[in-house]
Amino acid sequence: MTTTSSRLSTSQGVPVTGRPGGAGPVQPTVVNDAVEGPFDLVDTVFEVADVSVFYGDYEAVRNVDMKIGKRRITAMIGPSGCGKSTLLRCFNRMNDLIPGTRLGGKITFHGEDLYGDHVDPIEVRRRIGMVFQKPNPFPKSIYDNIAYGPRVNGVKRGLDDLVEEALVGAALWDEVKDKLKQNALALSGGQQQRLCIARTIAVKPEVILMDEPCSALDPIATAKIEDLMQNLTRDYTIVIVTHNMQQAARVSHRTAFFTADVDREGVRHGRLVEYDETSKLFTTPSDERTEAYITGRFG
Amino acid sequence: MASASAGSAAGSSLRRSRPRYGEAVIKGLLLAAALVSVATTVGIVASLLPPALRFFGEVGFGEFFGGTEWTPLFKPPSYGVLPLITATLTTTALAISVAVPIGLAAATYLSEYATPRTRKVLKPVLEVLAGIPTVVYGFFALTFFTPLLRDLWPGSGEGPEIFNGLSAGLIMGVMIVPTVASLSEDAMSAVPQSLRQGAYALGSTRRLVSIRVVLPAALSGIVAAIVLAISRAVGETMIVAIAAGLKPEFTLNPLQAMQTMTGYIAAAGEGDLPVASFDYTTIFAVGLLLFVLTFAMNFLSIRLVRKYREVYE
Ligand SMILES: Nc1ncnc2c1ncn2[C@@H]1O[C@H](COP(=O)(O)OP(=O)(O)O)[C@@H](O)[C@H]1O
Ligand SMILES: [Mg+2]
Repeated sequence: MTTTSSRLSTSQGVPVTGRPGGAGPVQPTVVNDAVEGPFDLVDTVFEVADVSVFYGDYEAVRNVDMKIGKRRITAMIGPSGCGKSTLLRCFNRMNDLIPGTRLGGKITFHGEDLYGDHVDPIEVRRRIGMVFQKPNPFPKSIYDNIAYGPRVNGVKRGLDDLVEEALVGAALWDEVKDKLKQNALALSGGQQQRLCIARTIAVKPEVILMDEPCSALDPIATAKIEDLMQNLTRDYTIVIVTHNMQQAARVSHRTAFFTADVDREGVRHGRLVEYDETSKLFTTPSDERTEAYITGRFG
Repeated sequence: MASASAGSAAGSSLRRSRPRYGEAVIKGLLLAAALVSVATTVGIVASLLPPALRFFGEVGFGEFFGGTEWTPLFKPPSYGVLPLITATLTTTALAISVAVPIGLAAATYLSEYATPRTRKVLKPVLEVLAGIPTVVYGFFALTFFTPLLRDLWPGSGEGPEIFNGLSAGLIMGVMIVPTVASLSEDAMSAVPQSLRQGAYALGSTRRLVSIRVVLPAALSGIVAAIVLAISRAVGETMIVAIAAGLKPEFTLNPLQAMQTMTGYIAAAGEGDLPVASFDYTTIFAVGLLLFVLTFAMNFLSIRLVRKYREVYE
């Protein structure tokens, strides 16, 4: 019963995007060189304008402005408690699930107000997926985990192909193709996290948000996920929160550095300090707080 | 004192400085507490068995399980237990058909939809409801619900008799709702928040999160709640004794009066059967059957839960 023209209102079927991952030429691994031109020439997916986020009366994030480019990996770094996760959850309205959360300012998704009256948060989350810090597969079979998203979105036929495609896209297919009926919780932590990524891309979203996706994983599993992220940029826009600066430097095109300011009453508010090409931010930061953080003098 | 010498007196410093009798005492007390329930169960079986065996010495299994008339006090008596079983089945089925859907709906509401404030008010109310004595429900069924049913009965048919299984079963269901709701809510609330978040992030509605993620993950607790509900319905005595009647009828028609297994035990136990008489052993025969049925059901449910539950972590 949607009368609005809003593209984010209630869904009608699943739009078919390109085959994620899968075959095709391998992208160059040095991603910072893969940025084809100045940021202004890249399509903007999200535009964050003067955004503040409140938990009740507490302003956790204050006055953030930034743009997120299409098919780019954008990293958010900064000391813990500076509001990275809070801001990330605003991009797919996961914060709606926390009672008392409020957003000031405006976030647009392809120019459309993400918090507009006609916007359906369910549809938003279908288009903008999320991977969490701790792998959280459902206590179901590997197959059912992947098929969950398509099923709740009304897909009934072709599930087998979808599942395979998603697992191939998440570089997990070869490891699990013989045990799709096995419980997902029997997988290793790294495999579980790739399963969660596969589960997300099975819905064919446009954006994948990742909140410290590797913080519970060992270095080998982390390297696999980082490789995977490189491949995913062919089809997806990725925003990743990480406390690991090396990771941000390795994988992202652009990096946003956040920190927490203490106001006169002693309350901490997250602020965006600097947002730039990753290569520039890590070599010639323009703010001394960024420099202090990346050289390890603080945080 | 002992620790002061810890550094110097090498070798003895890691020994226990003084005996801890307290531990042993506590352990013993806890074990005793656990054994009480085991001992009670054994005691029940031991006290049921001799009179029941005496009964089955005279009445064959064929007559007991095959006969459709239960008239142990008539001359000549008839010992077919089927009427008591059908009555128990009928009232239990009615009770479960009320208690499980309403209980699960209430649990889902409390766990997935209600705000923390609503939950904080509603859950204790529910738990108080579970404490109402069943004799109150029995009179409520007989003096309020049955007349209401008879008044509102549609069409030309007879409607329920004054004593009937329908009213007793439905009110018994209402009695059990809080048990199902409370236990299921516990199981659902225990499902980790991270699973819900994962489901929401894939574009699930609240309804889908409840049905496809939370319910399956909480299944073992929910099945346990349902089994407890069935056990309570099978074992419930006051409501059926008051509202369903005392007439053993071999029927599944809930509009008729009927006597359940528990109803018979209560009625016969209150009567003036001489303790040493053969008639008195009928109580133990029916009691043993009740015990075996409940035991088998619990056993089955444990197997079912093991097989179907989704283990998180
Ligand atoms: N659900 C919540 N309710 C209230 N305050 C919160 C909640 N989540 C986070 N916060 C607060 O918001 C601030 C930012 O938290 P978060 O976004 O998790 O930081 P980060 O991800 O950068 O470590 C912290 O001070 C934290 O205590
Ligand atoms: Mg965080």
